[in-house]
Amino acid sequence: MLPFRDTFFMIQNKWIFYLISGLVVAFVVLVFFYYVATWKKALSGKTNTNKRPNIRSLFIAIKNVFLGIRIFKDDILAGIMHFLIFWGFFALLIGTILLSIHEHIVKFLMGNIYIVFSVIMEIAGLFLISGTVIAIFRRYILKVKRLQSYTEDLLIPLFLILIVSSGFLLEALRIAQNPQRWEKWSFVGWYLKELFGPGVSEGAYPYIWWFHAILSLSFLLFIPLTKLAHTILAPTSIYLQNLPKEDGDKAQMEEEDSASEGSDKEAQLPQRPFLTLSHLIFLDACMRCGRCVEVCPSTLAGEDYAPRDFVQGLRAWVWQSFSSHGDPRLFTERSPDKMQRIWNCTTCRACLEVCPVYGPTFELVMGERTLAIEEGTSVPDLLNQTLERLYKYENPWMSSKKEKLGWIEEGSSIGFITKSFKPEFCYFVGCTTSVDPRARGIAKAFSNILRSSGLEFGIFGEKEPCCGDMAKRVGELGLFEEKKMSCSDLFQSYGVKNVVTSSPHCYFNFKNEYPQGMFNVFHYTQLIHKLIKERNLTIKKRLDFTVTYHDPCYLGRHSRIFNEPREIIRSIPGIKLIEMTHNRENSLCCGGGGGRMWQGNELNGTERMSERRAKEAKETGADVVLTACPLCLIMMEDAIKTLGYEKNLKVMDINELLKMAIDEEKR
Amino acid sequence: MKELKIIVCAKQIPDPEAPFSAVTVDSKKKEVKVDAPEVISPYDENALEAALRIKESSKAFITVLSVGSSLSDTVLRKAIAAGADQLVMVEDDSFGRLDSYSTAYVLSKAISMLGEYDLILTGRQAGDWDWGQVGLILGEILGLPTINMAAGITVRDGHVEVSRLVPAGLELVEAKMPALVTVSNEVGELRYVSRSKILGMLKKRIPIKKVSKGDLNLEPEFLNTMELLELLPPSDMRRDCVIVEGATGKEKAERLFEIIKQIL
Amino acid sequence: MDEILILAETKETQIEKSTHELIQAGRELKSALGGILSCLLLGEGMDGAVKDLEQYPLDRIYLLENPLLKDFSPDLWVSSLEQAVRNLKPKVFIMAHSPTGREVGPRLSARLKSTLTTDCIGLRLDPEDRRIVRVKPIYGGNAVAVLKGKGNPELITLRKNVYSPAAPEGTKTEIIKLQLALSDQVVKVKALRTIFREQVELDKAEVIISGGRGIGAKEDFQLLERLAELINQRGIKALVGCSRPVVDKGWLSSDHQVGLTGTMVAPGLYVAVGISGAIQHLVGMVRSKKIVAINTDPNCNMFKVADYGVIEDYKEILHHLISKLEGLS
Ligand SMILES: Cc1cc2nc3c(=O)[nH]c(=O)nc-3n(C[C@H](O)[C@H](O)[C@H](O)COP(=O)(O)OP(=O)(O)OC[C@H]3O[C@@H](n4cnc5c(N)ncnc54)[C@H](O)[C@@H]3O)c2cc1C
Ligand code: SF4
Ligand code: SF4
Repeated sequence: MLPFRDTFFMIQNKWIFYLISGLVVAFVVLVFFYYVATWKKALSGKTNTNKRPNIRSLFIAIKNVFLGIRIFKDDILAGIMHFLIFWGFFALLIGTILLSIHEHIVKFLMGNIYIVFSVIMEIAGLFLISGTVIAIFRRYILKVKRLQSYTEDLLIPLFLILIVSSGFLLEALRIAQNPQRWEKWSFVGWYLKELFGPGVSEGAYPYIWWFHAILSLSFLLFIPLTKLAHTILAPTSIYLQNLPKEDGDKAQMEEEDSASEGSDKEAQLPQRPFLTLSHLIFLDACMRCGRCVEVCPSTLAGEDYAPRDFVQGLRAWVWQSFSSHGDPRLFTERSPDKMQRIWNCTTCRACLEVCPVYGPTFELVMGERTLAIEEGTSVPDLLNQTLERLYKYENPWMSSKKEKLGWIEEGSSIGFITKSFKPEFCYFVGCTTSVDPRARGIAKAFSNILRSSGLEFGIFGEKEPCCGDMAKRVGELGLFEEKKMSCSDLFQSYGVKNVVTSSPHCYFNFKNEYPQGMFNVFHYTQLIHKLIKERNLTIKKRLDFTVTYHDPCYLGRHSRIFNEPREIIRSIPGIKLIEMTHNRENSLCCGGGGGRMWQGNELNGTERMSERRAKEAKETGADVVLTACPLCLIMMEDAIKTLGYEKNLKVMDINELLKMAIDEEKR
Repeated sequence: MKELKIIVCAKQIPDPEAPFSAVTVDSKKKEVKVDAPEVISPYDENALEAALRIKESSKAFITVLSVGSSLSDTVLRKAIAAGADQLVMVEDDSFGRLDSYSTAYVLSKAISMLGEYDLILTGRQAGDWDWGQVGLILGEILGLPTINMAAGITVRDGHVEVSRLVPAGLELVEAKMPALVTVSNEVGELRYVSRSKILGMLKKRIPIKKVSKGDLNLEPEFLNTMELLELLPPSDMRRDCVIVEGATGKEKAERLFEIIKQIL
Repeated sequence: MDEILILAETKETQIEKSTHELIQAGRELKSALGGILSCLLLGEGMDGAVKDLEQYPLDRIYLLENPLLKDFSPDLWVSSLEQAVRNLKPKVFIMAHSPTGREVGPRLSARLKSTLTTDCIGLRLDPEDRRIVRVKPIYGGNAVAVLKGKGNPELITLRKNVYSPAAPEGTKTEIIKLQLALSDQVVKVKALRTIFREQVELDKAEVIISGGRGIGAKEDFQLLERLAELINQRGIKALVGCSRPVVDKGWLSSDHQVGLTGTMVAPGLYVAVGISGAIQHLVGMVRSKKIVAINTDPNCNMFKVADYGVIEDYKEILHHLISKLEGLS
């Protein structure tokens, strides 16, 4: 006889099973429709999400779903846990479906196929059980700090354990009644069958069967009602978040225009014009895993902010404001309070880098800021004044346009771009680099380096506007548009084709927030890297330093420039580069970006973000911590002084180090 | 409830909080120039904020009234963007250097033209000439109860209640409306007014009323410009600063301690 | 005969220091103008104040005593001053640029239709037309205007701490009691109550330890307080001051604020901690005899007006200074 199994062994009225299954599926679909309806309302009809299918994005989603790479990252145990549960659950679900197909459509689970099937089902069950045990262990015994527990976090694993154990029990009972030779492949059941005599099993079997069946079906019922919704929403979120951005900002501005007009007519619903469908799906896909909390520089510095809490707050708000019948989640954060904390985030992107569902929390924070700026009364004082200054004086500091030339050393000839002098490169110095006494070192060194490379460049000097980055990050979109216009107009009227910036912030802004293709933009590290490679720069001096390199968020994570700075550093003979614990895409923000510099001290926690980073730099034992951004330079300099490290640890910009190396030995 | 009519007097001036390097004193033309867009005088912004807060709790119609020469609606529009309902600009080339009495006189005429009002708010002083007079004189001309230096304002059944700064602390006073109150920065900074709100008004029709000298029946007798003999750069405040050196903060502190001991 | 009239101010029936400064200014003007220098004193129970004034080089003291004038009621004061000035017809009427002067000055100017120049730092006589030339800083101190006014009397409020107080000098002073029709009918603004706050009189301090926005936390002002306390223990009057942002944050009350719209001070030592040196702050303290600045920014403006500068985080410096001083006692 071929190995096989009677799917509905000893079970009557199997139509009841199918009826319930049908109802469950209908319910699940219905609730997901309810999700969609709520999202639609929150979007009030607009769809600013790219709709073209995208293979790359699909690939990323599939990779994440089946391998759970992001979950393995930095937490192997969590990775294993998720891997076991995912594959266990997935295989059992498919297995159950296959059984139905076998029963009603084609009989194929026979012979060796059945044996393989049995083995896989056994393993899947064991996977699922061990995964859930690990989950409980991590949460309640290891007490992993980033986890935040609601009732569902205990309920779901217990539920799963119950389902799998009842499944195994069922199997044991079935085998006990009719122990065929091939059933030993269902090894768990085979082993357990010893516990039961045939009499026992016969009586209990149907009850246990129905118990198992109903339990399993009701588990499905809980998918849209608990964090299990992520089984559907996480892959969707990952796919959507990885779509290429379609002139997203343009779309957003236009919508804002129409939204502001709409508000005259007494908008009935609270508006969040910046929300996109992918944002909304992300909010519901968030598992509260807390990975973002673990990397967020604000949370790490002991401030009263955590990206997860913000996300959950905003999620609560969306459901409160737009759902017709309330929040379908049974256990979740109900209060939108935490979404009020919008000024802590430095937009450093660390959270996005680790979020298993690729959630761009900082985008949402920036969106919330646009509302606060429009509304006006909750803008912190210092930020209020800083934005006024940015508008009036083209820089966020207490400095005038005139002072933008203050970094130019006496006797050094720097060309100003005019109608008759149109150099190959426009060096966009940037406001902070132009006026801040410490950051001016970058401009001094870089202009020297450019000169010794022979590259033709010029600056705009007093005419140079602010690029608008800071305005954009704090949500002052109108001011940003104005600055964008001044810069674009200036570049156009002088025929500027190539722009090189001191600051990663200007670089990122030009590259991503300005119309594409108007001009080429480089960060100085890219240009210097090229100059060194093409042998236009000769390094004359050996520098016997040990250095470490702090990746600026907007250069590294946001612009993916990780190697060029390191290669420049390594090209200096004698320099030894050691990495900090957090490096490259895991770099730890200094706290200067996203307008955080102009937030005053009110938000501060137990320590400053920059101090944390400075401590890490100190731990490497390096003599110098290098960076490639004026804001990082200022923040780190300040932190090192506050901590009293300045004797052993210097802060330098890569430019400043390189300049030392290319200068002739002075004697 | 009756709609309160609030008039906020606001002056357009060069930015008084400009960084030093942006300010030049032209002694020949007797002018102070600031290399930046002009602004609404900061205390007038405080007055506007006070009005906006009143509007948040009771029905109110806020008129912002400005007298001057070469007024710019791009500057004053901010007041509308912030939440005022109407902007009235009284403009004439001869209004550039009016003395305080004359400014108050023109304001009073404009206010009578506007009709009824309950409350007039002005800044305690303008950030350019720092006169600190116009509000109080206006109160005299209009014969209104006048309260100086408000730190907080509330309005209740026909009365205005003000906590005002006095040397002893805060004095709580009350007057029947219509009344005039001059406002100090303690009431709070003007809420942030986003650029897109201000720019958005470029496209929309904004409620601006332009009034010229001729509309007001002004008597020349009361229109005097100030008699400015000279305008000088400030006397030099610079001293040669000795930087207290030291390898550590402690060393510096110790040296500083010695210096302070000597001074005392 | 030309009369220079000054308005005396008292605090709890004691003559204010600013009045002594006015006497000095009046005296200097009198030497150019000739005529007499007199003083107007309003209030109730002013015997002590009169005694004080008598020691100074004044020709006349006009005394207006009335129970209604006991507390400063702007409406009553303006009305009394209007009548007094209309009767006495002085050539010049000088008030201090104090809360009182700032309030009654403009209103008086409106009633008398005479130009008031507020916040003057200098007065002189134009011998040609015998009018008063008034020197007044504008744009927060970024420029200085030299002006004349129209109308009689010439009205002026004088910035505090600019003229040094007159020295007492035994001259014969005539005391004239004024009788005016005063009625509380003129009061349109009803005073309900005063929330008294202990006032720091910064302009009387010999040492001011002043903190600005650079002070990171409210609690850190305790460092400044402690420092002042330790100096006080050595018999030198020391107080804590601040720049405006500190007041705006609500960390200190406005009477601690130094500057254009706060108090004008000129102590023996001014320590500016975490204050950048905006012009509106500077004008309030540049007359200090010695200025010490503690700031992390080597390029900040405060260093340009200071005698000594420390480029360092304030916490470090203050901690060490405090422990040094504690060690002394
Ligand atoms: C009409 C008008 C009237 C005004 N009147 C006044 C007035 O009367 N008084 C007044 O003060 N202002 C007045 N202002 C405001 C004035 O323009 C400035 O805004 C204000 O003085 C700035 O105060 P600040 O120096 O404390 O703050 P900031 O300018 O922000 O300076 C803070 C300083 O602290 C330093 N710092 C930061 N951290 C540290 C640290 N850890 N250790 C040491 N130093 C540190 C910084 O380098 C900086 O220099 C007026 C403005 C106007 C328009
Ligand atoms: S936002 Fe992402 S990383 Fe943060 S808790 Fe939610 S799922 Fe986890
Ligand atoms: S972008 Fe950076 S600072 Fe902002 S929430 Fe994410 S991790 Fe935190």
